[in-house]
Order: sequence, then structure tokens, then C-alpha cells
Amino acid sequence: MSKEDSEREPSWKSDFPIETRRGTHVSRREFAKFLGLLSGAFALSNGFIVIKAIAFPAEKLEGEHFVVDEAEVAIGEMFQFEIHGEKKIPYILIHLEENEWRAFEQKCTHLTCAVRYRKDENKIECPCHNGWFSADTGAVLQGPPPRPLPRLDVVVRDGKVYVKEQSEDQNV
Amino acid sequence: MSDFRTSQNEAHPNKTNTIMTGIILLQILFVSIQVWFLFGALNNALEGNIFFALTTFVGSLFMAIGSFWVLRYLPEPLKKKPDKRPRVNVSRQP
Repeated sequence: MSKEDSEREPSWKSDFPIETRRGTHVSRREFAKFLGLLSGAFALSNGFIVIKAIAFPAEKLEGEHFVVDEAEVAIGEMFQFEIHGEKKIPYILIHLEENEWRAFEQKCTHLTCAVRYRKDENKIECPCHNGWFSADTGAVLQGPPPRPLPRLDVVVRDGKVYVKEQSEDQNV
Repeated sequence: MSDFRTSQNEAHPNKTNTIMTGIILLQILFVSIQVWFLFGALNNALEGNIFFALTTFVGSLFMAIGSFWVLRYLPEPLKKKPDKRPRVNVSRQP
């Protein structure tokens, strides 16, 4: 091979005349355009939430569902159960006092960890991020959860415990 | 000969830089507020508060339009002036 050949520019360089530095460099113009696109994407996702909320509202639980016999859950105890519908949703049933029952969804409203009733504190605890809910209303008492736990009404009839969708007047 | 554009560019040499920084900062502000709106809308829509989701959507849409609109004022990329100096081929072999 002659010396001239080695000094001549290789042919691939003339075929692809883009330098690596130019290929990887993001100019401020490009960055500004990217921010514009990002902004559009956020607006679209916000619109998607509106469409989803209007077109596909959360389905309500229909009718009463038998959970357990009253005698099986002592006062201060918690009972876990699931309701199978379109989705399988876990719930907890809490026997607070005599004739005082509560049923809440077991998924924490923060990151859907399983919550549990703490008898010693008389509160519901989410052990993942130290979130606490009221055992009486399901309201957030402390920690990162943004919303109260979804609640069901409890009906006790003939020694059997049933749950049903919470009535509207109690929902406020 | 000097025209208006040349003299203005000479009087404010940082103009392009300032406009570019302003546009990017404005867009970052818009996007941050949109993230905040989106987070709020997610939580409120889950609670059944559709009005909040609708309001944030309108706000977010205005901000997106604003983000696109400021792109109109992006300065043109600087063009390299053609090199008019005479080129001299330097021999590598003295």
C-alpha cells in the first residue's frame, strides 16, 4: 500500500459526511422544540383523563354481597375478603365495636399497598410508606395517601355480614 | 455598507442568547405547571371530581398552545460566513 492511499480520506467519510459531534449535539433550538412537544403531550394526557372520567365512570357495586358470619369476626378483629366483578378487588371488614362494622378497600390510595387494621392504635395502617387512615371513616390521618379509602356499607342480618355500595348521603 | 440589522446586532450582541433563554425558561414554566395540573387531575378524577379535570385540561391546553406559539420567536441558527481568506495548501513534507 502506498503512502498516498493511507493519507487519503476513507470513502465512508464522504458517503456519511456527518461528524459524531454534530450527530449527538442537541442545540437549544431542538431542545425548545422538544419542550413544545412535551407540553402538547401533557395537554393530551389531561384530555385523556377527562374523556376516561366522563365515558368510563367507575362501576358501582350492585346488590348485597355476603362476606362472613358475624360470629367469626371478634370485636377489634379484621377480616379480609374479595369481591369478584370485572376486577378482583380486595376489601377489609373491621369489627370496631358491638354492632359497629366497617368495610374499606384494602388497596392504599397512595401506591396500592395492602392496608391493615391496627387494633392497638384503632387506625388503619399502610406499612409501605407509613400512611394512616381513620378506622371509622377511612379518611387520611397521616402520610402520603392522597385520598381516603373507598368505603362500603355493612349490613348485618340474621348473624350474617353483607356489604353493599355506600349510599350517596353518607358519601359526602 | 451597514444596514439596520447589522447595527442592531452590533449594539446588542447577546440578543439571540437572551431570547433563546427566555423561550426555554417560559416553556419549562409551562411544562412544570402542566405536570402539576396532571397530577391534580388524576387524583380528582379518581375521586369523581370531573370539573377539576376539565378545568385543568383547558388550562393545560392553553399552555400547550403557548408553548408552540413561543416557538415562532426562536432565533434562526447562526450561519457561518463563507471564509473569504485565501486558502493555502500546507505541504506536510518539508
